[in-house]
Amino acid sequence: MIVLVTGGSGCGKSTWAERLIASMPEGQRVYIATMQVYDEESVRRVARHRAQRAHLGFATIECEKNLAAADIPQDSVVLLEDLVNLAANEMFSGGDVRRIVPALHDLAHRCRHLVMVTNDVFSDGGCYDESTQEYLRALAQINRSAAALADCVVEVVYSIPVSLKGALPCV
Amino acid sequence: MKLYIGGAYQGQLELARAENPDALILSDFHEAVQEAMLRGEDARAFAQSVCAAHPDAVIVANEVGAGVVPMEAQERAFREAVGRALCVIAQEARQVTRVVCGIGVRIK
Repeated sequence: MIVLVTGGSGCGKSTWAERLIASMPEGQRVYIATMQVYDEESVRRVARHRAQRAHLGFATIECEKNLAAADIPQDSVVLLEDLVNLAANEMFSGGDVRRIVPALHDLAHRCRHLVMVTNDVFSDGGCYDESTQEYLRALAQINRSAAALADCVVEVVYSIPVSLKGALPCV
Repeated sequence: MKLYIGGAYQGQLELARAENPDALILSDFHEAVQEAMLRGEDARAFAQSVCAAHPDAVIVANEVGAGVVPMEAQERAFREAVGRALCVIAQEARQVTRVVCGIGVRIK
């Protein structure tokens, strides 16, 4: 099963995605961590996520860029968190944002289950500089491709999962 | 407890009033979370204290977490705190309604 989980800041999407993984049949659980750790806030965020998923027995693979090169075992159960960081890293840290969608397709074929987390950052109506607009366009395209690839797309609204595509998985 | 949420000016307060004419309505809850944060309170603990004090209230809030991640740490922290607080309220609530263009969609 391929699932895309979206939602706003602090809406509980990570927690829900982890519960979804926990409800899936046994398999090697792999957590693909994409966040660049560069300041106190990101250190705290990583620590919180690690503590949150500690009981799930994930092998963590760090992948700030170039998802295609990540060594993901065949038939594993993968939580990719998240597309927002991956796109930002590719775009602003010397990568190539265009390689994300093909890498997602390869990953989806490789693993048994794939849960991708993204973020709704599109609904504040703000005007931004050209590089931010370019990033938003790229991320939106990635989200749309990921949604097309997914069997289910779920928006988490303040801890409540709302199905946007497919039947809501039971967690 | 019931929760009504939506983007700015989507009619969540009007709908909450229309559907719950006799209830205590706590509106602009996102601002209350921000004020609690400025007082140094934890967002989740604040939400729990509101649930305990007003178990039959109707909470009305704006969704503030669906925009570009702000450059300012304080603004980022505010959006996240509102999210965490509203997760607590949504779990406690027996009904959650998301309002878009004045139309309520029951999501719980």
